[in-house]
Amino acid sequence: MMEDSKKQRRSGFASVFEAKAIRNPFTSEYSIFCLTILYFIALTPFTPGLASAENAANIFSNMLPLLIVALGQTVVLITGGIDLSVTSTIALSSVIGAMMMTGEQGLLGGSRWAAPAAVIAMLLAGAVIGLFNGAAITLFRMPAFIVTLTTMMFASGLAIWLTESKSIYNLPASFNSIGKGSLFIVPNALIVAVLVALALHVALTQTLFGRWLYATGHNAKAAEVSGVRVERTVRLAYVISGLCAATASILYTGRMETGSPVLGQRILLDVIGASVIGGTSLFGGKGKVIWTISGVLFITLTDNSLNMLGLSYFFIMMVKGAVILLAALLDAWRNRLFVRS
Amino acid sequence: MNRLITVAAGLVIAALFLSCSSAPSGPKQMTIGVSFETLQTEYWVAGFEAIKNELKKRNIQALEAIADGDANRQLEQVNNFIARRVDGIIAVPKDAKTIISMIKAANAANIPIVLYNRPADQTDAKSVAVVADNYAITKTTVEYMCEQAKKTSKKYKAAILIGDLGDINAVGRRDGFEDAVKQYGDIIEIVARIPTEWNGEKARAGMTNALQAHPDINFIFTSSDFMFPPIIQALKEAAKYKKIGEEGHVLLGGFDGDATAYQMLVDGYLDADGVQDVFFESEAAVQAVLDMKDGKDLPAKILDPGFVIHQGNLKEMAGKMWGAQVKKQTVRN
Repeated sequence: MMEDSKKQRRSGFASVFEAKAIRNPFTSEYSIFCLTILYFIALTPFTPGLASAENAANIFSNMLPLLIVALGQTVVLITGGIDLSVTSTIALSSVIGAMMMTGEQGLLGGSRWAAPAAVIAMLLAGAVIGLFNGAAITLFRMPAFIVTLTTMMFASGLAIWLTESKSIYNLPASFNSIGKGSLFIVPNALIVAVLVALALHVALTQTLFGRWLYATGHNAKAAEVSGVRVERTVRLAYVISGLCAATASILYTGRMETGSPVLGQRILLDVIGASVIGGTSLFGGKGKVIWTISGVLFITLTDNSLNMLGLSYFFIMMVKGAVILLAALLDAWRNRLFVRS
Repeated sequence: MNRLITVAAGLVIAALFLSCSSAPSGPKQMTIGVSFETLQTEYWVAGFEAIKNELKKRNIQALEAIADGDANRQLEQVNNFIARRVDGIIAVPKDAKTIISMIKAANAANIPIVLYNRPADQTDAKSVAVVADNYAITKTTVEYMCEQAKKTSKKYKAAILIGDLGDINAVGRRDGFEDAVKQYGDIIEIVARIPTEWNGEKARAGMTNALQAHPDINFIFTSSDFMFPPIIQALKEAAKYKKIGEEGHVLLGGFDGDATAYQMLVDGYLDADGVQDVFFESEAAVQAVLDMKDGKDLPAKILDPGFVIHQGNLKEMAGKMWGAQVKKQTVRN
C-alpha cells in the first residue's frame, strides 16, 4: 500500500517535472526580466541615448505610477477578476483632490491642510470605488468585467461633469512634490512605489489574506468549502486595486501639477498588459509583485525605445498590442499545460 | 540563490551598458522631436505631415510621438526626446498649462522647444509659439460673411459653435466672431452660442437643438472646420442645407481651411473660411528651433496671419489652402 502510494507520488512528481521542463523557458520567475535585459542589449547599438543614465532615470520615472496601478490590478487578477475602472479611478481621484486644494477657489485652497486632506480624499475615492466594485461583484454575482466597465463609465462621466471637462491648476507645491520632488537624491515617487510594492509583496507571500487570494483565484468554490472567506477576499482585492489607482493618481497629478478629468484614460492596456506580460494569469490563481515589476519595466522600455527609435505612433501601438497578445496567448497555453500536468 | 544571481547578473549587464554608453562618433545628423497631442482632425494630420516634410527638406531626422490626448503621456514622450538628446522639440500641447512642466524640462536640458499652434500659459520657462492669429483671421472671415448678409437686406439670426474655452485658440475665435458681428448689430442677432469642447458629437447635438429652438437661424460660424459634417447633417435634417443663391441658403463660415471646407467652397455651399497657413506655420516652427539653437533671440509668439478664402478669391487662393492640397492628394490616390 505504502509502496503504491510512493510510486504514485513519484509518477506525479515525474509528470510535473516533465511539464515544468517544457515550461521552464517561459515559467522561470525572471524570464521577463531576462528578456527585458536582452531586449535592452539588442536595441542599444541602434538607439542613441537608450543606454544613458539620463534615460534610465527617465524610464524609471515613467514606470513608477504605472507600476502602482498594475500592482493593484495584479491583486485583482489573482482572484480571477479584472478591474477596468482603474483609469477612471485615476481621473476621478485627480479631480477630487485638485478641487479640494486648488488656489483660492478650492474647498481648502490656501490652507496648510489642503494637500494632506486632498491626499486622504483621493485615497478615499479610490477605496470607495473599489469597495463598490467588490460589493457589486460578490453580492449580486455580477461579472467583474461588466461591473468595472460600468464603474469606469460612471466615474469618468462624474469626473468630466464635476470639472465641466476642464483641467484644474494651481495645486500646492507640497502636493506636487510627491510626484516630482525627491528626498535627498531618491525621488519621492520611487519611495511611494517601493512602499506599495513591499506592502503587497508581504501581503501576498506572508499573510493569510495572500493565501486566500490565490485559493480564490484557483478555485473559488473549493476555497469556500475549505473555509476561505471568498467574498471578503474579493472585496478587499478590489479595494486594494482602487487604492493603488488613487495612489498612482497622486503621482500623476503631482508631476503634471494639474488635476485632469481625462488623466490616465489611455493607460488601461498598459496596466493589464504589464501584469499579463509579467506572468500574472488572466485565469486567476497566479501572480507576483516581482512579475508585475518585470512586466511594467518591459512595457515601459518598449514604449521608450520605440519612441526613441523614431518609429511612428501607429507602429508603436501595433508592436505593443502584439506583445500583449503574445503574452496573453502564452498565458492561455501555460494554463492548459498546467491543467494537463 | 539562483534568483539573486539572475537579478544581479541582469543589473550588472545593464550597468555596464549604461557606463559604456557614449555619444556616436562622426558628423551627427540633426534630430528634432515632434510631439503632437492628437492627430484627431485633418488639421493636425496636415500640420504633422508638413513639419515632417519641412524637416526632411532640411535633412533633419524627425522623431515622432503622439500623446493621444493624454498630457502625462506627452510629458513622458518629451522626456524621452530629452533623454535622446535631440537638437530641438516641436510640440502641440494638450493644453496651455500642462505644457509648462515640459518646457521647464527642455529648458533644464538646454534643448530649444517650439509650440505649434497652441501657446503656453504665462510662465518664466522659455519657449516660442507659432500660432495663427485666431482673433484677426476669424474677425475678417466673419466680417466678409456679414457683408454678404448686408447685401441681401434681410435680418439674420446667428449661431456660433465654440471650441473648448480652455484652449486659447477657441477663445480668440469666439472673440473675433463676437466683435465682427457686433459691428452689424442692426442686421445680425446672435441667438445660439453652442459649446462643443472640440467634440463632433456635441457639435451635432448642439446644432440640432439650436435649429429646433431657433428654426430661423440663417448665419452659422464654426470655430473649426472639422465640425462641418455634423453641421451639414443637422442642416439637412432641418431642410436648410442650400447652395449660395438658392432660397433659404444659410450663410456658412468656418475656420481652419480643411479639405471638407474646400469641397464645400467648390460646391457652392460655404461662403467663407478662415485659413491657417499650415505651410507657413510648419516652416516657421522648424526655423524657430534652428534659430533658438543658434542662440538667436526670438519673440515668444510668431503669428501666422492666415487668410480668408471665399467665393470671390477661391481660384486665386486655393493653392495656398492646405485643405485643397489634401483634397487633390486624396483624389490622386
